[in-house]
Amino acid sequence: MFARLVKESFVRNPRRKILTAAALALGIAVATATLSVALEVGDRMAHEFRSLGANLLVTPQADTLPLQIGGVDYRPVNEGAYLNVSDLGKLKMIFWRHNILGFAPFLDVPATIEGRNQIHTTLIGTWFEHNVPVPDGSAFQTGVRSTHPWWKVQGRWFDDDAKECVIGATLAANYPGGIAPGQSIEIAGRAEAGGAPAHPITLAVTGIVATGGAEDNAVLAPLALAQQLAGHSGQFRELFVSALTKPADAFARRDPKTMNETEYDRWYCSPYVSSITLQITQALPGTEVRTIRRVADTEGRVLSRISTLLWIVTLAALAAAILAVAATSAATVLERRVEIGIMKAIGASNSLVSGIFLAEQLMLALIGGAIGYVCGVVLARALGESVFGSPAPVNVLLLPIVLGIAAIVAVIGSLVPLRRAARLDPAPILKGE
Amino acid sequence: MMFGRLLWSLLRGNRGRLAIALVAVISGATVISALLNVEFDIGGKLAQEFRALGPNLLIAPRGGIQTEDAGASAAALMDETTLAAVLAKVPPAAMVGSAPYLYIVARVGDAPVMVAGTELQEARELNPSWKLEGAELKGGCIVGRNVAQRMNLKPGAQFEIKYLNRASRLQVDAVLDSGSAEDDQVLAPLATVQRLAGLPGRVQFEQLRAKGDAPEISAFAGRLSSALPGYDVRPIPQATQAEANLLKRTRLLVGSMVILILVLTALCVLATMAALAMERREDVGLMKALGGSIERIVALFVAEVGVLGASGGAIGCAIGVALAQWIGERVFGASIATRWEVFPATIALMTIVAMTGALPLRLLGRVKPALILRGE
Repeated sequence: MFARLVKESFVRNPRRKILTAAALALGIAVATATLSVALEVGDRMAHEFRSLGANLLVTPQADTLPLQIGGVDYRPVNEGAYLNVSDLGKLKMIFWRHNILGFAPFLDVPATIEGRNQIHTTLIGTWFEHNVPVPDGSAFQTGVRSTHPWWKVQGRWFDDDAKECVIGATLAANYPGGIAPGQSIEIAGRAEAGGAPAHPITLAVTGIVATGGAEDNAVLAPLALAQQLAGHSGQFRELFVSALTKPADAFARRDPKTMNETEYDRWYCSPYVSSITLQITQALPGTEVRTIRRVADTEGRVLSRISTLLWIVTLAALAAAILAVAATSAATVLERRVEIGIMKAIGASNSLVSGIFLAEQLMLALIGGAIGYVCGVVLARALGESVFGSPAPVNVLLLPIVLGIAAIVAVIGSLVPLRRAARLDPAPILKGE
Repeated sequence: MMFGRLLWSLLRGNRGRLAIALVAVISGATVISALLNVEFDIGGKLAQEFRALGPNLLIAPRGGIQTEDAGASAAALMDETTLAAVLAKVPPAAMVGSAPYLYIVARVGDAPVMVAGTELQEARELNPSWKLEGAELKGGCIVGRNVAQRMNLKPGAQFEIKYLNRASRLQVDAVLDSGSAEDDQVLAPLATVQRLAGLPGRVQFEQLRAKGDAPEISAFAGRLSSALPGYDVRPIPQATQAEANLLKRTRLLVGSMVILILVLTALCVLATMAALAMERREDVGLMKALGGSIERIVALFVAEVGVLGASGGAIGCAIGVALAQWIGERVFGASIATRWEVFPATIALMTIVAMTGALPLRLLGRVKPALILRGE
């Protein structure tokens, strides 16, 4: 009997129902779209920020201070400590290995370009794209392509296995007689005072690189060549790491030594800069890991502000949608006072009347909510596509949440006028007062 | 006159129902005006955050090539007064700040250390990400953390640096953690380093941060370049291109969210108003039965919701401005500039939306009043 009453009430006057459901659907679409974006945005923006390049710098603990001015390293080759390339695969075995998006080892060798007049410069050995064997048997392709994506090269990058090099923009501009991709240079490691002069090697120039840093005055070449010139086979001095991190919050800023066991586990298992730093130090003993504050700070500041902003905007939009939906529900009940009066006059109890109306509102909320969820998901995907180039994954968990919100809001919106209607005497309502 | 009186009694007679509609309009207007205010101001606010990336332009002498083993050689240096004269003419709106640098490899005790001569206060303002541990800068030097560790220097300590046959005593004002090359250097006042090197008035390069987006920065670099013949003005791509791309991405994200919410909220208010208007069919039927023309009746109801939209829009705008201010304080720690053009835009939008919502009442013109009054 109750079901028949509800069905009758639901099917009658479809135009009015459609409008109510439309208001509900639009409100829920706002909620779904904004929630989907807000839930996703931290991860996606963090990925975007990796275009700033490396955010961590790994150096040997016992290293001497680098002495480099204008691209020329004044530190003798044999001074200072080195790290082993063969250990680098271990970086992809740490707990947050998937957050290590790339790394590039660097070895600077004081060098001289041979020719009519000798040019003193630094040969920077690194990888452009190199396959690093990982202890679990796989290989990881990495190099400056992922740690320094903003280095612009005119021509092309060197091949990691060839005798090729890329020349810094300033050095190229000032090169006697000029130099362009396609030519080649003869370069030798600078002889130590009293040592035998080194044999020069010939490198084909493949490109000119502009970085705005010390590299503009240097020659960039595959790491293996730099190792050969320096006589440090399989070694490097600095490692730039690009890691996906979570912006530091109050918890991340605490000293891990003061944490109890559960807090420490939570800290260790969160991709904070500090916990990834610790894990790299554990994987590569004898190193010191420093945060490149310029990059990490910018990322942290912008990311935390963007996600706070989007959450506030989402909550505001949600609140507005809720109020609109509640208003629609309230209006629907308010306008049907005559019907309520008739029902009560022919003997319906207050709870039956409320029951019928609430059931009807719930059905509307669920239908409108489901339509709104679909629209919201489509909109969120379109937004992800246009901003980040790939659509946001559908978050199915949001469906019960937004349906719940729709149901609660519709019920609360109708409860107030229903309670007022329950107190009313049917006679004056039927008289139209 | 009659229309006004009818409208007034319509508004007074339906206070409960109108209050509900008003809530919907106000909440929509609040969100829309707050978002518009935030959107207009967010570009500047975000650009401010990207300042932490540090300098984005570099002025260096042309022909800075090394053919001999030496520290700073006079040939590849720039004149400090020429630079200062050109930079002094740059309007503050175009530039955040600049700092000159002169490097030498000096000795502290027996160990060689890189000493960078610079204007410490300027350099610090240019690099907001630098973390300084120690007292305020008061004429001493800043020591990179690796240097401080190796030489066992703490803020307040004093040490002597030697270069060739000259020496200078410096006090440590602060220890610097930057995560980049400066950690391995001593940053000392420029005049001290120039005196030690015997190169008064000379600098190796100047770092600066220009304001604005990528094209503005390259235009600025072009102007500087023509004002400084013989010097190279180079952008630092990390702080120009990468930053510009990220800024664009972030703005696009916030912008599309704002548009999405704006459109959906407006539609949601529209549907709410339409649902409310449909509830008035009995009133329409009654008026029609009493002999009113459908045009006149619809005009009356449209005027009613128009008043509702305008007043709800105005109230919502005021709340929205306060919300935008709160968002600014909460998110950026700075207030959001109120854009007054948001007021008429939001009020107009809400009025139009409310009035459009009432238009379906026209459909009732075809319906016989008796049917409506019978409740069908």
